Amino acid sequence: MSIQSDSIVDIQGLNKWFGPLHVLKDIDLTVGSGARVVVCGPSGSGKSTLIRCINGLESYQKGTLRLAGTTLGLNARETAAARRQTGMVFQSFNLFPHLTVLSNCTLALRRVAGRSRSEAEDIAMAHLEKVRIPEKAMSYPGQLSGGQQQRVAIARALCLNPRIMLFDEPTSALDPEMIKEVLDVMVALARDGMTMVCVTHEMGFAREVADQVVFMDGGCILDSASARDFFGAAGHPRSRLFLETILKH
Amino acid sequence: MGFDLAFALSSVPTILGAVGTTLFVALVSCVGAAAIGFLFEMVRRVGGVAGLMIGFVIDFIRSTPVLAWLYFLYFVLPFYGIRLGSMTVGVMGLSLYYSGYLAEVFKAGIDAIPKGQPEATRALSLSRRDAVIYVIAPQMLRNIAAPLGNYFVSILKATPYLAVLAVPEMLGRAFDIASETYRYTEPLVVAGLIFLALALAISQGVKRLERRLLAVGTR
Repeated sequence: MSIQSDSIVDIQGLNKWFGPLHVLKDIDLTVGSGARVVVCGPSGSGKSTLIRCINGLESYQKGTLRLAGTTLGLNARETAAARRQTGMVFQSFNLFPHLTVLSNCTLALRRVAGRSRSEAEDIAMAHLEKVRIPEKAMSYPGQLSGGQQQRVAIARALCLNPRIMLFDEPTSALDPEMIKEVLDVMVALARDGMTMVCVTHEMGFAREVADQVVFMDGGCILDSASARDFFGAAGHPRSRLFLETILKH
Repeated sequence: MGFDLAFALSSVPTILGAVGTTLFVALVSCVGAAAIGFLFEMVRRVGGVAGLMIGFVIDFIRSTPVLAWLYFLYFVLPFYGIRLGSMTVGVMGLSLYYSGYLAEVFKAGIDAIPKGQPEATRALSLSRRDAVIYVIAPQMLRNIAAPLGNYFVSILKATPYLAVLAVPEMLGRAFDIASETYRYTEPLVVAGLIFLALALAISQGVKRLERRLLAVGTR
């Protein structure tokens, strides 16, 4: 079986510049269906930019990025259709503050997926149950803790039934005691077989669910290995140094 | 020359009779200015040649006197075959003039929205139009309720300019009484007090609206 045929994300020779700044350099990455990839590395290494390229939030200048069989950036309509296969969770949640939790979840269902109000609410409630926060459906984001908001954001992203979930440092803005409730939801999602790419510094999470760990620095992928190899002795010297630094504190 | 209360009261019905015209002009101009201003700001945001041009138009509008607009629309356009009624010209003039200012207010209101909000709408595949209607505009309104209310009061206070087009608004009526009777104090004071009452009512209404908008999803 070739990985090519059922890969959701297929990145080859990807390069991106912000003006004169070369932020992604010759990135190659394949994410197969059901794969759980963790991307880590120091800040400024380009990992957030990479994950934002995957759903077309950022454009790229060289190389190819295929998402669900579509090369992003060639055709606006096809790019939009491919993006619909993704769900994204941001570091700062980005819930809509003027809408209830339920409306946050139903907005795209109604406006993008064309569901009726009651259908959308049923789907949204099912996902809010899944992230264990159905009782907050009528609350506003500002009334929730950070951990609760991030779980709502995950439910919102799941509502459109994506084939791949992208997490951009989902726990970096959270207090330590709230990190676990979010990670628990993500672990459960992984157990359900969701394909995910996750930028995170949570190495415990990486060890538990990742089947591939990618280490980035200076816009390059320096190390890409199975979780076992990455955390074992065989890793790249630079990633070993990184691991020692973040595991020590 | 003292203040003749009886004469002042006798002028009230005539002046109040024009309150409808004043309110109508002010209301339609507020709606028109907000609609045109929002459209201007949307085009400016998209950028490109159209955006640059609209940016210039906004600056141009804000750098010219409102009277110049009214005169232009009323006296110059007929030479090009466009003949409009004085009320229409008045409403168009005020709408256009204040749209330039409101575009700036809308800009400030949108700039204050965290950039994660539009990003979330893109990640959810919402169309640009839906993003504006359901996410950007409501949050913008919340940010700008107070300055928006100030401009609505300004528009109300600008309605007397329409006297130059012989639109029968309140101050014009008051002045008519004054010139017929050679008594200026009473009618002008009465008109001023009615303007004061209307302006206070608008700002109270806006304050109440702002409180309600801010109460939604308080953090």
